[in-house]
Amino acid sequence: MSGAKASEKAPSANWILQHPTYQQMKELNVGESEQIHAAFLVYMDLTEVRRWKEVSCVKSLDLQVVLLEAREKDGAPVHTVLPLPVHQSLCHQSIRQVLDRGFPMLLCAVASDSTLVYQRMTDGLVTPDPPVGPFEDTGRRQHRKRRQHR
Amino acid sequence: MEAPPCSQVEELQQEQEHGSSLVVGLSLCDSAPLLWRFQDLKTVRSNSLVGALLGSLPRTPRQNIRLGRPLLLMPEEERVLREHHGAAALSARNQDAAGAAELRQRYEEEQQRSLEEQSILALEDRKSALLRAMTSSSGSESGAGSDEALQCRLLALEQNFSFPRSALAVQLSTARAGLSQCQEDRAFLEADWPIREQDSPRRDARYQVFRDLWGRGFFLTSAGKFGGDFLVYPGDPLRFHAHFIAVCLTLDESICMLDVLSVARLGSNVKKTVLLCSPAPDGSVHYTSLQWSGMM
Repeated sequence: MSGAKASEKAPSANWILQHPTYQQMKELNVGESEQIHAAFLVYMDLTEVRRWKEVSCVKSLDLQVVLLEAREKDGAPVHTVLPLPVHQSLCHQSIRQVLDRGFPMLLCAVASDSTLVYQRMTDGLVTPDPPVGPFEDTGRRQHRKRRQHR
Repeated sequence: MEAPPCSQVEELQQEQEHGSSLVVGLSLCDSAPLLWRFQDLKTVRSNSLVGALLGSLPRTPRQNIRLGRPLLLMPEEERVLREHHGAAALSARNQDAAGAAELRQRYEEEQQRSLEEQSILALEDRKSALLRAMTSSSGSESGAGSDEALQCRLLALEQNFSFPRSALAVQLSTARAGLSQCQEDRAFLEADWPIREQDSPRRDARYQVFRDLWGRGFFLTSAGKFGGDFLVYPGDPLRFHAHFIAVCLTLDESICMLDVLSVARLGSNVKKTVLLCSPAPDGSVHYTSLQWSGMM
Protein backbone atom coordinates (compact mmCIF):
# COMPACT_ATOMS: atom_id res chain seq x y z
CA MET A 1 0.00 0.00 0.00
CA SER A 2 2.75 2.46 0.90
CA GLY A 3 4.41 1.59 -2.40
CA ALA A 4 1.27 2.69 -4.31
CA LYS A 5 1.08 5.90 -2.31
CA ALA A 6 4.73 6.63 -2.93
CA SER A 7 4.27 6.26 -6.69
CA GLU A 8 1.27 8.63 -6.54
CA LYS A 9 3.40 11.25 -4.85
CA ALA A 10 6.33 11.02 -7.25
CA PRO A 11 4.88 13.01 -10.24
CA SER A 12 4.20 16.14 -8.14
CA ALA A 13 7.92 16.53 -7.51
CA ASN A 14 8.35 17.29 -11.21
CA TRP A 15 6.45 20.57 -11.15
CA ILE A 16 9.58 22.40 -12.31
CA LEU A 17 10.00 20.17 -15.32
CA GLN A 18 6.37 20.73 -16.24
CA HIS A 19 6.47 24.46 -15.81
CA PRO A 20 5.93 26.23 -19.18
CA THR A 21 8.87 28.57 -18.70
CA TYR A 22 11.16 25.70 -17.90
CA GLN A 23 10.05 23.94 -21.03
CA GLN A 24 10.58 27.13 -22.99
CA MET A 25 14.14 27.29 -21.68
CA LYS A 26 14.73 23.69 -22.60
CA GLU A 27 13.55 24.35 -26.12
CA LEU A 28 16.28 26.93 -26.56
CA ASN A 29 18.62 23.96 -26.79
CA VAL A 30 21.54 25.52 -25.05
CA GLY A 31 23.05 24.80 -21.69
CA GLU A 32 23.15 21.69 -19.58
CA SER A 33 20.26 20.75 -17.32
CA GLU A 34 22.02 22.25 -14.33
CA GLN A 35 22.31 25.61 -15.96
CA ILE A 36 18.70 25.50 -17.10
CA HIS A 37 17.63 24.62 -13.58
CA ALA A 38 19.67 27.55 -12.27
CA ALA A 39 18.12 29.84 -14.88
CA PHE A 40 14.66 28.70 -13.85
CA LEU A 41 15.29 29.40 -10.17
CA VAL A 42 16.50 32.90 -11.02
CA TYR A 43 13.44 33.38 -13.21
CA MET A 44 11.15 32.47 -10.31
CA ASP A 45 13.07 34.75 -7.97
CA LEU A 46 12.84 37.71 -10.30
CA THR A 47 9.17 37.27 -11.20
CA GLU A 48 7.60 35.99 -7.98
CA VAL A 49 9.83 37.34 -5.27
CA ARG A 50 11.26 40.57 -6.61
CA ARG A 51 8.39 41.25 -9.05
CA TRP A 52 10.58 42.38 -11.87
CA LYS A 53 8.88 43.15 -15.16
CA GLU A 54 9.11 41.62 -18.61
CA VAL A 55 11.28 38.73 -17.52
CA SER A 56 12.16 36.63 -20.53
CA CYS A 57 14.72 34.02 -21.42
CA VAL A 58 17.09 34.24 -24.36
CA LYS A 59 19.82 31.99 -25.56
CA SER A 60 23.45 32.98 -25.80
CA LEU A 61 25.17 31.26 -28.67
CA ASP A 62 28.61 32.41 -27.61
CA LEU A 63 28.32 30.92 -24.17
CA GLN A 64 25.79 28.20 -24.89
CA VAL A 65 23.72 29.14 -21.87
CA VAL A 66 20.26 30.48 -21.09
CA LEU A 67 20.27 34.18 -20.24
CA LEU A 68 17.46 36.21 -18.74
CA GLU A 69 16.42 39.72 -19.61
CA ALA A 70 14.32 41.77 -17.21
CA ARG A 71 13.48 45.24 -15.99
CA GLU A 72 13.39 46.11 -12.30
CA LYS A 73 10.26 48.21 -12.85
CA ASP A 74 8.30 49.62 -15.76
CA GLY A 75 10.49 52.01 -17.66
CA ALA A 76 13.68 50.88 -15.93
CA PRO A 77 16.57 49.80 -18.17
CA VAL A 78 16.71 46.20 -19.32
CA HIS A 79 19.22 44.04 -17.44
CA THR A 80 20.92 40.89 -18.68
CA VAL A 81 21.11 38.23 -16.01
CA LEU A 82 23.58 35.36 -16.31
CA PRO A 83 22.50 32.50 -14.04
CA LEU A 84 25.19 29.96 -13.24
CA PRO A 85 25.52 27.10 -10.79
CA VAL A 86 28.08 28.10 -8.20
CA HIS A 87 30.45 25.25 -8.79
CA GLN A 88 30.83 26.03 -12.48
CA SER A 89 33.74 28.02 -13.71
CA LEU A 90 33.74 30.76 -16.29
CA CYS A 91 36.24 32.97 -18.01
CA HIS A 92 36.56 36.72 -18.35
CA GLN A 93 35.91 36.38 -22.05
CA SER A 94 32.40 35.04 -21.42
CA ILE A 95 31.66 37.91 -19.08
CA ARG A 96 32.81 40.34 -21.75
CA GLN A 97 30.55 38.66 -24.29
CA VAL A 98 27.53 39.15 -22.06
CA LEU A 99 28.55 42.76 -21.40
CA ASP A 100 28.83 43.28 -25.14
CA ARG A 101 25.06 42.87 -25.37
CA GLY A 102 25.00 46.42 -24.16
CA PHE A 103 22.80 46.09 -21.09
CA PRO A 104 23.73 46.36 -17.42
CA MET A 105 24.68 42.88 -16.35
CA LEU A 106 23.96 40.82 -13.27
CA LEU A 107 25.73 37.56 -12.59
CA CYS A 108 23.64 35.27 -10.42
CA ALA A 109 25.32 32.40 -8.60
CA VAL A 110 22.95 29.56 -7.70
CA ALA A 111 24.02 27.29 -4.87
CA SER A 112 22.93 23.69 -4.43
CA ASP A 113 20.51 24.77 -1.69
CA SER A 114 18.97 27.27 -4.15
CA THR A 115 20.53 30.28 -2.49
CA LEU A 116 20.93 33.09 -5.01
CA VAL A 117 23.65 35.76 -4.99
CA TYR A 118 23.58 38.60 -7.50
CA GLN A 119 26.75 40.44 -8.54
CA ARG A 120 26.67 43.54 -10.68
CA MET A 121 29.20 43.59 -13.50
CA THR A 122 30.08 46.74 -15.38
CA ASP A 123 32.56 47.52 -18.11
CA GLY A 124 35.31 49.92 -17.08
CA LEU A 125 36.49 51.32 -13.76
CA VAL A 126 33.62 52.14 -11.43
CA THR A 127 34.74 54.26 -8.49
CA PRO A 128 33.37 52.86 -5.23
CA ASP A 129 31.15 54.90 -2.93
CA PRO A 130 33.22 56.82 -0.42
CA PRO A 131 33.10 55.73 3.23
CA VAL A 132 30.32 57.35 5.23
CA GLY A 133 31.10 59.80 8.04
CA PRO A 134 31.12 61.08 10.72
CA PHE A 135 34.80 60.35 11.05
CA GLU A 136 36.57 60.21 14.36
CA ASP A 137 40.21 61.13 14.52
CA THR A 138 41.90 57.87 15.52
CA GLY A 139 44.86 59.75 16.96
CA ARG A 140 42.70 61.51 19.51
CA ARG A 141 40.86 58.33 20.35
CA GLN A 142 44.11 56.59 21.18
CA HIS A 143 45.17 59.52 23.29
CA ARG A 144 41.90 59.38 25.18
CA LYS A 145 42.35 55.65 25.75
CA ARG A 146 45.80 56.17 27.21
CA ARG A 147 44.55 58.86 29.58
CA GLN A 148 41.85 56.55 30.85
CA HIS A 149 44.39 53.86 31.60
CA ARG A 150 46.32 56.24 33.82
CA MET B 1 77.95 57.68 3.05
CA GLU B 2 77.09 56.21 -0.34
CA ALA B 3 78.39 53.13 -2.02
CA PRO B 4 80.29 54.16 -5.15
CA PRO B 5 77.99 53.85 -8.17
CA CYS B 6 79.34 52.17 -11.26
CA SER B 7 80.53 54.50 -13.99
CA GLN B 8 77.82 53.45 -16.42
CA VAL B 9 75.11 54.73 -14.12
CA GLU B 10 77.01 57.95 -13.52
CA GLU B 11 77.17 58.57 -17.24
CA LEU B 12 73.48 57.94 -17.66
CA GLN B 13 72.77 60.32 -14.81
CA GLN B 14 74.82 63.07 -16.37
CA GLU B 15 73.03 62.61 -19.68
CA GLN B 16 69.65 62.69 -18.04
CA GLU B 17 70.37 65.60 -15.72
CA HIS B 18 69.06 68.05 -18.25
CA GLY B 19 65.93 65.95 -18.76
CA SER B 20 63.11 65.67 -16.31
CA SER B 21 63.79 62.11 -15.21
CA LEU B 22 66.84 60.66 -13.54
CA VAL B 23 68.09 57.13 -13.84
CA VAL B 24 67.93 55.17 -10.61
CA GLY B 25 70.54 52.68 -9.60
CA LEU B 26 69.20 49.24 -8.76
CA SER B 27 71.07 47.20 -6.22
CA LEU B 28 70.33 43.63 -7.18
CA CYS B 29 70.25 41.22 -4.28
CA ASP B 30 70.01 37.95 -6.16
CA SER B 31 67.10 38.91 -8.41
CA ALA B 32 65.41 41.32 -6.03
CA PRO B 33 65.69 44.94 -7.17
CA LEU B 34 66.48 47.23 -4.23
CA LEU B 35 66.92 50.98 -4.06
CA TRP B 36 69.12 52.42 -1.36
CA ARG B 37 69.80 56.03 -2.21
CA PHE B 38 67.41 58.79 -1.12
CA GLN B 39 67.47 60.48 -4.48
CA ASP B 40 66.49 57.22 -6.16
CA LEU B 41 63.57 56.74 -3.82
CA LYS B 42 62.35 60.26 -4.48
CA THR B 43 62.71 59.85 -8.23
CA VAL B 44 60.76 56.64 -8.21
CA ARG B 45 57.94 58.10 -6.10
CA SER B 46 57.65 61.10 -8.36
CA ASN B 47 57.11 58.63 -11.20
CA SER B 48 54.08 57.23 -9.33
CA LEU B 49 55.82 54.04 -8.32
CA VAL B 50 55.49 53.10 -4.69
CA GLY B 51 57.51 49.96 -3.99
CA ALA B 52 57.79 48.51 -0.50
CA LEU B 53 60.20 49.57 2.24
CA LEU B 54 61.96 46.64 3.84
CA GLY B 55 64.56 47.92 6.28
CA SER B 56 64.22 48.52 9.98
CA LEU B 57 64.72 51.99 11.37
CA PRO B 58 67.67 52.38 13.76
CA ARG B 59 65.62 54.19 16.40
CA THR B 60 62.53 51.98 16.22
CA PRO B 61 63.70 48.54 15.26
CA ARG B 62 61.11 46.22 16.72
CA GLN B 63 58.04 47.13 14.73
CA ASN B 64 56.71 46.75 11.22
CA ILE B 65 54.56 49.83 10.90
CA ARG B 66 57.26 52.20 9.74
CA LEU B 67 60.12 50.76 7.79
CA GLY B 68 63.15 52.28 6.16
CA ARG B 69 65.43 51.65 3.23
CA PRO B 70 65.96 49.67 1.08
CA LEU B 71 62.93 49.96 -1.16
CA LEU B 72 61.94 46.75 -2.90
CA LEU B 73 60.40 47.16 -6.32
CA MET B 74 57.69 44.86 -7.65
CA PRO B 75 58.73 42.98 -10.78
CA GLU B 76 56.26 45.11 -12.74
CA GLU B 77 57.72 48.33 -11.34
CA GLU B 78 61.25 47.31 -12.21
CA ARG B 79 60.21 46.30 -15.70
CA VAL B 80 58.37 49.56 -16.33
CA LEU B 81 61.44 51.53 -15.16
CA ARG B 82 63.77 49.55 -17.37
CA GLU B 83 61.51 49.96 -20.40
CA HIS B 84 61.55 53.70 -19.93
CA HIS B 85 65.31 53.65 -19.48
CA GLY B 86 64.85 54.88 -15.97
CA ALA B 87 66.87 52.25 -14.17
CA ALA B 88 70.17 50.48 -14.42
CA ALA B 89 71.70 47.87 -12.19
CA LEU B 90 74.60 48.87 -10.03
CA SER B 91 77.37 46.42 -10.77
CA ALA B 92 77.74 43.95 -7.95
CA ARG B 93 81.46 44.10 -8.28
CA ASN B 94 81.55 47.77 -7.38
CA GLN B 95 79.29 47.20 -4.44
CA ASP B 96 81.65 44.66 -2.92
CA ALA B 97 84.45 47.20 -3.31
CA ALA B 98 87.59 46.50 -1.38
CA GLY B 99 87.15 49.84 0.35
CA ALA B 100 86.34 47.96 3.50
CA ALA B 101 89.76 48.53 5.02
CA GLU B 102 89.61 52.17 4.02
CA LEU B 103 86.21 52.56 5.59
CA ARG B 104 87.42 51.02 8.81
CA GLN B 105 90.35 53.37 8.97
CA ARG B 106 88.08 56.35 8.31
CA TYR B 107 85.75 55.20 11.02
CA GLU B 108 88.53 54.87 13.56
CA GLU B 109 89.90 58.29 12.69
CA GLU B 110 86.46 59.76 13.17
CA GLN B 111 86.12 58.08 16.53
CA GLN B 112 89.48 59.46 17.61
CA ARG B 113 88.51 62.96 16.54
CA SER B 114 85.24 62.66 18.34
CA LEU B 115 87.02 61.45 21.46
CA GLU B 116 89.35 64.44 21.48
CA GLU B 117 86.51 66.91 20.95
CA GLN B 118 84.41 65.34 23.63
CA SER B 119 87.22 65.27 26.16
CA ILE B 120 87.85 69.00 25.66
CA LEU B 121 84.17 69.71 26.12
CA ALA B 122 83.98 67.51 29.19
CA LEU B 123 86.89 69.34 30.73
CA GLU B 124 85.22 72.69 30.07
CA ASP B 125 82.13 71.35 31.70
CA ARG B 126 83.96 70.26 34.82
CA LYS B 127 85.77 73.56 35.07
CA SER B 128 82.65 75.62 34.90
CA ALA B 129 80.99 73.30 37.42
CA LEU B 130 83.94 73.79 39.73
CA LEU B 131 83.81 77.55 39.29
CA ARG B 132 80.14 77.65 40.13
CA ALA B 133 80.68 75.51 43.19
CA MET B 134 83.58 77.58 44.48
CA THR B 135 82.08 81.00 43.87
CA SER B 136 78.75 80.06 45.37
CA SER B 137 80.24 78.54 48.51
CA SER B 138 82.54 81.49 49.10
CA GLY B 139 80.09 84.12 47.92
CA SER B 140 80.64 86.77 50.59
CA GLU B 141 84.39 86.45 50.67
CA SER B 142 86.37 88.05 47.94
CA GLY B 143 90.02 88.64 47.62
CA ALA B 144 93.22 87.34 46.22
CA GLY B 145 93.24 84.34 48.51
CA SER B 146 90.17 82.64 47.17
CA ASP B 147 91.14 83.48 43.61
CA GLU B 148 94.48 81.78 44.02
CA ALA B 149 92.87 78.72 45.54
CA LEU B 150 90.47 78.60 42.61
CA GLN B 151 93.31 78.81 40.11
CA CYS B 152 95.14 76.00 41.90
CA ARG B 153 92.10 73.82 41.83
CA LEU B 154 91.50 74.51 38.15
CA LEU B 155 95.07 73.69 37.28
CA ALA B 156 94.94 70.48 39.26
CA LEU B 157 91.75 69.51 37.50
CA GLU B 158 93.27 70.09 34.10
CA GLN B 159 96.32 68.06 34.87
CA ASN B 160 94.48 65.15 36.39
CA PHE B 161 91.51 65.06 34.10
CA SER B 162 91.14 62.18 31.75
CA PHE B 163 88.17 61.38 29.59
CA PRO B 164 87.57 57.63 29.56
CA ARG B 165 86.76 55.93 26.29
CA SER B 166 83.76 54.25 27.83
CA ALA B 167 82.14 57.66 28.28
CA LEU B 168 82.40 58.45 24.61
CA ALA B 169 79.06 59.26 22.99
CA VAL B 170 79.02 57.44 19.67
CA GLN B 171 77.07 58.76 16.74
CA LEU B 172 75.69 56.04 14.47
CA SER B 173 75.63 56.85 10.81
CA THR B 174 72.22 56.00 9.38
CA ALA B 175 73.08 56.94 5.86
CA ARG B 176 74.38 53.57 4.86
CA ALA B 177 73.69 52.97 1.21
CA GLY B 178 74.01 49.28 0.53
CA LEU B 179 74.92 45.84 1.64
CA SER B 180 78.53 46.11 0.56
CA GLN B 181 79.78 46.04 4.15
CA CYS B 182 77.48 43.35 5.42
CA GLN B 183 78.33 40.13 3.67
CA GLU B 184 76.29 38.07 6.12
CA ASP B 185 73.11 40.08 5.47
CA ARG B 186 73.55 39.75 1.77
CA ALA B 187 74.03 36.00 2.01
CA PHE B 188 70.90 35.75 4.14
CA LEU B 189 68.78 37.63 1.61
CA GLU B 190 70.10 35.59 -1.27
CA ALA B 191 69.51 32.27 0.36
CA ASP B 192 65.95 32.74 1.51
CA TRP B 193 63.98 34.60 -1.11
CA PRO B 194 60.33 33.71 -0.46
CA ILE B 195 58.67 35.19 -3.54
CA ARG B 196 57.66 32.57 -6.05
CA GLU B 197 57.70 33.30 -9.73
CA GLN B 198 54.20 32.96 -11.22
CA ASP B 199 53.62 31.06 -14.39
CA SER B 200 54.23 33.04 -17.55
CA PRO B 201 50.79 33.89 -19.01
CA ARG B 202 49.60 35.25 -15.69
CA ARG B 203 52.83 37.19 -15.18
CA ASP B 204 52.52 38.78 -18.57
CA ALA B 205 48.87 39.64 -17.93
CA ARG B 206 49.90 41.27 -14.65
CA TYR B 207 52.50 43.36 -16.37
CA GLN B 208 50.17 44.53 -19.17
CA VAL B 209 47.57 45.56 -16.60
CA PHE B 210 50.16 47.27 -14.41
CA ARG B 211 51.53 49.26 -17.30
CA ASP B 212 48.09 50.31 -18.50
CA LEU B 213 46.89 51.48 -15.10
CA TRP B 214 50.22 53.15 -14.28
CA GLY B 215 50.08 54.90 -17.64
CA ARG B 216 46.69 56.32 -16.65
CA GLY B 217 48.21 57.93 -13.61
CA PHE B 218 47.17 55.45 -10.91
CA PHE B 219 49.49 54.37 -8.13
CA LEU B 220 49.68 50.61 -7.67
CA THR B 221 50.89 48.49 -4.79
CA SER B 222 50.68 44.79 -4.21
CA ALA B 223 47.37 43.55 -2.79
CA GLY B 224 48.35 40.39 -0.98
CA LYS B 225 46.22 41.36 2.02
CA PHE B 226 43.12 41.50 -0.15
CA GLY B 227 43.65 38.43 -2.25
CA GLY B 228 44.18 40.42 -5.42
CA ASP B 229 47.10 41.36 -7.60
CA PHE B 230 47.24 45.12 -7.14
CA LEU B 231 45.65 47.86 -5.06
CA VAL B 232 44.88 50.82 -7.29
CA TYR B 233 45.03 54.32 -5.80
CA PRO B 234 43.85 57.48 -7.55
CA GLY B 235 46.90 59.30 -6.17
CA ASP B 236 49.73 58.86 -3.70
CA PRO B 237 48.84 56.13 -1.16
CA LEU B 238 49.76 58.52 1.64
CA ARG B 239 46.87 60.76 0.65
CA PHE B 240 44.18 58.41 -0.64
CA HIS B 241 42.47 55.14 0.09
CA ALA B 242 42.63 52.58 -2.70
CA HIS B 243 39.64 52.54 -5.00
CA PHE B 244 40.17 49.20 -6.68
CA ILE B 245 41.46 45.71 -6.07
CA ALA B 246 42.81 44.56 -9.42
CA VAL B 247 42.67 40.86 -10.20
CA CYS B 248 44.69 40.09 -13.32
CA LEU B 249 43.86 37.14 -15.52
CA THR B 250 43.95 36.18 -19.16
CA LEU B 251 40.71 36.38 -21.14
CA ASP B 252 40.40 32.65 -21.55
CA GLU B 253 41.56 31.61 -18.12
CA SER B 254 38.92 29.66 -16.25
CA ILE B 255 37.88 31.10 -12.86
CA CYS B 256 35.78 29.44 -10.23
CA MET B 257 32.49 31.15 -9.37
CA LEU B 258 33.22 30.78 -5.68
CA ASP B 259 36.41 32.79 -6.13
CA VAL B 260 34.53 35.53 -7.96
CA LEU B 261 31.97 35.68 -5.20
CA SER B 262 34.50 35.73 -2.38
CA VAL B 263 36.66 38.44 -3.90
CA ALA B 264 33.58 40.53 -4.75
CA ARG B 265 32.21 40.19 -1.23
CA LEU B 266 35.59 41.14 0.24
CA GLY B 267 35.70 44.17 -2.00
CA SER B 268 32.30 45.35 -0.87
CA ASN B 269 33.27 44.89 2.77
CA VAL B 270 36.31 47.11 2.41
CA LYS B 271 34.59 49.65 0.15
CA LYS B 272 36.72 48.92 -2.89
CA THR B 273 35.61 47.89 -6.34
CA VAL B 274 37.05 44.62 -7.58
CA LEU B 275 38.40 44.89 -11.11
CA LEU B 276 38.80 41.88 -13.32
CA CYS B 277 41.58 42.90 -15.68
CA SER B 278 42.61 41.12 -18.85
CA PRO B 279 44.87 42.26 -21.66
CA ALA B 280 43.18 42.10 -25.04
CA PRO B 281 44.88 40.88 -28.19
CA ASP B 282 44.93 44.40 -29.62
CA GLY B 283 47.10 45.66 -26.78
CA SER B 284 44.39 47.36 -24.74
CA VAL B 285 43.15 46.05 -21.41
CA HIS B 286 39.57 45.04 -20.60
CA TYR B 287 38.28 45.99 -17.16
CA THR B 288 35.15 44.58 -15.55
CA SER B 289 34.02 46.12 -12.26
CA LEU B 290 32.37 43.79 -9.75
CA GLN B 291 29.96 45.37 -7.37
CA TRP B 292 27.61 44.11 -4.75
CA SER B 293 24.17 44.24 -6.32
CA GLY B 294 22.43 45.31 -3.14
CA MET B 295 19.73 42.75 -3.84
CA MET B 296 19.14 40.97 -0.56
